[in-house]
Amino acid sequence: MGMMRRLPRFDYLAPTTLQEACAMLQQHQGQAKLLAGGTDLLVNMKRRDETPQYVIGLKQVSGLDYVRDGDTLHIGPLAVLHQLELSPAVRQKWPILVEACDHFGSTQIRNLATVAGNLCSASPSADMATPLIVLGARLKLKSASGERQVAADQFFVAPFKTVMREDEILADIEVPALSERAAAVYERHSLREAMDHALVGVSVMVQLGRGTTCQDAHIALGACAPTPRRAPKAEAALRGKQLTAEVIAEAAKTASTDADPRTDPEYKRQIVEVLTRRALNRALTEVQGK
Amino acid sequence: MEYAIVGKSVPRKDGWVKVTGQAQYGGDLILPGMLHGKILRSPHAHARIVSIDASRAKRLPGVRTIITGKDFPGVKFGFLPITRDQLPFAVDKARYFGEAVAAVAASDEDTAEEALDLIQVEYEELPPVFTVQDAIRPGATLVHDDKPGNVGFTARYNYGDIARAFEECDYIKEEHLTTQRISHGFIEPHAMLASMDGDRVVLQGTKQSPYITWRHLCRAMDLPLSKVRMLNPYVGGGYSGKHDPFDVDFAATKLALVTGRPVRVELTQDEILGMERQRHSKDCWIKLGAKKDGTLHALECKTYFEGGAYVCAAPINTRAFGSGLLIPYRIPNARFEGIRIYTTRPPCGAVRGQARVIARYVLEAILTDLANDMGLDQLEIRRKNALVKDEVATEGTVMENFAFMETIDELKKMVDWPAAKAKKVPFHGIGFAGDGYASGSRARGHWASAAVVKITEDGGINLIQGATEIGQGSDTVLAQICAEALGVPYEEISVAVEDTDASVLEQGIYSSRTTVWAGNGVRVAAEDARRQLAEEAAKLLEADPKDIEFRLGNVYVRNDPKRSITFNEVVRKAYYEQGHPIYGRGSWGMDAGRADWATAKEPWSPGRGSVTMAVEVSVDPETGKVKILKLTAAHDNGQPINPALLAGQIEGGTMAHMGQGVFEECLTDEHGRPINPDFFDYKMPTALDAPHFANHPIIGDNPYGPFGAKGGGESVSSSALGAIANAVADAIGVRIMDLPITPQKILKAINGKQSQERRA
Repeated sequence: MGMMRRLPRFDYLAPTTLQEACAMLQQHQGQAKLLAGGTDLLVNMKRRDETPQYVIGLKQVSGLDYVRDGDTLHIGPLAVLHQLELSPAVRQKWPILVEACDHFGSTQIRNLATVAGNLCSASPSADMATPLIVLGARLKLKSASGERQVAADQFFVAPFKTVMREDEILADIEVPALSERAAAVYERHSLREAMDHALVGVSVMVQLGRGTTCQDAHIALGACAPTPRRAPKAEAALRGKQLTAEVIAEAAKTASTDADPRTDPEYKRQIVEVLTRRALNRALTEVQGK
Repeated sequence: MEYAIVGKSVPRKDGWVKVTGQAQYGGDLILPGMLHGKILRSPHAHARIVSIDASRAKRLPGVRTIITGKDFPGVKFGFLPITRDQLPFAVDKARYFGEAVAAVAASDEDTAEEALDLIQVEYEELPPVFTVQDAIRPGATLVHDDKPGNVGFTARYNYGDIARAFEECDYIKEEHLTTQRISHGFIEPHAMLASMDGDRVVLQGTKQSPYITWRHLCRAMDLPLSKVRMLNPYVGGGYSGKHDPFDVDFAATKLALVTGRPVRVELTQDEILGMERQRHSKDCWIKLGAKKDGTLHALECKTYFEGGAYVCAAPINTRAFGSGLLIPYRIPNARFEGIRIYTTRPPCGAVRGQARVIARYVLEAILTDLANDMGLDQLEIRRKNALVKDEVATEGTVMENFAFMETIDELKKMVDWPAAKAKKVPFHGIGFAGDGYASGSRARGHWASAAVVKITEDGGINLIQGATEIGQGSDTVLAQICAEALGVPYEEISVAVEDTDASVLEQGIYSSRTTVWAGNGVRVAAEDARRQLAEEAAKLLEADPKDIEFRLGNVYVRNDPKRSITFNEVVRKAYYEQGHPIYGRGSWGMDAGRADWATAKEPWSPGRGSVTMAVEVSVDPETGKVKILKLTAAHDNGQPINPALLAGQIEGGTMAHMGQGVFEECLTDEHGRPINPDFFDYKMPTALDAPHFANHPIIGDNPYGPFGAKGGGESVSSSALGAIANAVADAIGVRIMDLPITPQKILKAINGKQSQERRA
């Protein structure tokens, strides 16, 4: 991490349509960065961790800041976290996203930082990543040459690196509805109650069949591997099982082996186990209360 | 005594301008033709400076001048004559990562920063020394060639026959406790604007104690005091981190002298959190012995202070630590050695509460553990050993106006002790700690406070004094004192900015001294103005001046209030008819004795405060996370001048110490480069981390203080760190020996304890 300095020199480009933005990205491939909220990019530039020659500001493109709910939820590329917090539909149908926002930065930062930007920055501890993974979100990537869809759990490839090509824009986040017998929750461990990144974050989605039988389970781990990632062994340990305390405890223990923490591994694995167990218990209680 | 204004939580004098964003801080100051300065810093923790070539940088359009360490006269400055070890900038070698090497003044900040990149410095790297262990090893690299063993300062005392005293003890506890470096964490970065007024420099900006900066800066720049005028805009927090002259002050002053133009230099938080003053890390071996009944009998403590490249205010810290061990409890036999060690890290200096906070922490920790081992009640052992009013402490201090015992008894009621003990919940804990803080004890420099109360011809009041409003509320408190003494409404008082030309400069904003010292200066000046007005009013009311009363703007004859006149009329008649402008002058000083730095003896205090605190915490046994639930404080600060501001000091101070207890640490990599110098990675507590506060002032007396007040800046919170650590130890049943108490350490301790219990 470099020392904080003045912003380096760059050219600012201001497209008015998404197509124009895509064309600019294609033209300046590898030398341009998109600016949405700027809470990551501008800091990185001041620290010289990123020195793009062109900054493409999306501010002049209208209609990108939507949070649209229906059967599925659509989050636009310029929608800031605070919009999720304010949306009654999100609060009711996708409350895990509100939980994740709750922990994120400060009010001021949530009014600037975009959901899409949080994903694109691809921090291993990105708070929006694991909730969107367990909800099965699909990300629309648009470029001058076309568009494609990627599942959220396939999006991250390395710390601060995603599958996105340098000419692509994350144009839409689509979040399916949870089924009637499902709940998703986010558990997070950090030192402070605000303005802090997750030391470990765990999201789970539990879908019940008959009684307390687990029909499907998604578990995603944050800040304990090079990328936000699923916990496939732990998920497998739940599917088709009665969700007894023992099964949950066992799956939580398994989740700690799905984690691959690079710093403080012993401690982080222990926290993964604790948070996974708490998250599963809370999700189970929520489904049963529906 | 019923006061009209003292003791009331009146609105802050600076409240409106601050909340509406109108207040001007150092970084807001702009003058016509102003240049911007930037500082080039050493990229090595320890390196010889072979050469500096600024020729390319000088050619950059917009660059006005570049200065290096050699442009200063080469006069060292320091807190004591024997600790003068620092030059404004590094000259022959750089002793920490980030030490100032050169500075540039340019037409704008971008150009100044670009110029820094063009200055070519050739370094020859030297082995760094980062820890006490490395620094005291035989043959260790010396940070200063003339400081053998890397020892910067030592304080020692020995009271009684310590070996024999320990033999006389029934129980002895020994601990090795370590504490970390922390930073002050003020939101406002250092920003200084220097400009020329003829051959004089006008320097204004972010100073907590302009006087301290003024005298040291003038010394190191070989300038007479009269050639530098300092004045203070609003200051955004100090916490003892804005006293001394820093590279930013030297850079602004020198760049203005060289260019003849106003120059503003503003630091970034990277520079401040990573490279400016921090609190010493400490390595403390402590041993405490008691008789069967819990009577403390002997104390031995050796503490290393790791403090970086320059001694700075370390004599205050070794002194505050040593004396902090011996008050507020009676410990008849004691030996202390405090050794301040040089390392190649940023220099440490004064931080809120000084090293007394750490001394109180280690003493309260070992006392708590000793009481637990002996099966004694935590508050009873404190009562048993509490120094009482007028008792002479082991190191000779007379405990004047001391109400520590009363605070223990009050706290006992507040937390319903010992009934609360019976309701112990697993992983919930309560911790206690006390202090008897000497507010207003002497440090260095001149030693008096003075003020002028200038009454304008329309009855308005300008209070001219030298104490700095750094957010603590001194303007408000001093205006209250002035209004009370003068018998006018609080709203009538305007408080002027501090200015070395216009006011007698206050010694400094530290040692919880402002309310008592500056307050007394203001009181005396207001009384002088009132005496002059009484003479004028007596003529008008045909009474004896001694019988004239002033209250809230009314002037009347005692026992005959119908014979009255308004304050304004008296003033107007004095000016217009008697040719008598009213200027009240006053100063206050006492022969306070001198601090004895070598023996760590506490100097005399005109306002000994006391406090007992209880902190309640819960610990998540699975994650190790601590939640600080409640802080209860019983405290004596004499007559509070403004109760809301005093409560603010308890809450703010506690939050600062909470940071040291459970969150904060200045971290560096293996090259001495800071790795967490921003408010995201440097973990200060946020408002959401704050506990519930319950505090109760006991109004003890203080004949020395204005209206019976004692200082409250540091004294009310100096026991918080100890109480927090004790609460965590109570919750988890294990003492964490090194701060900060992180979730990782807690979880490890809990796991270790559980496996030990399984084995047993």
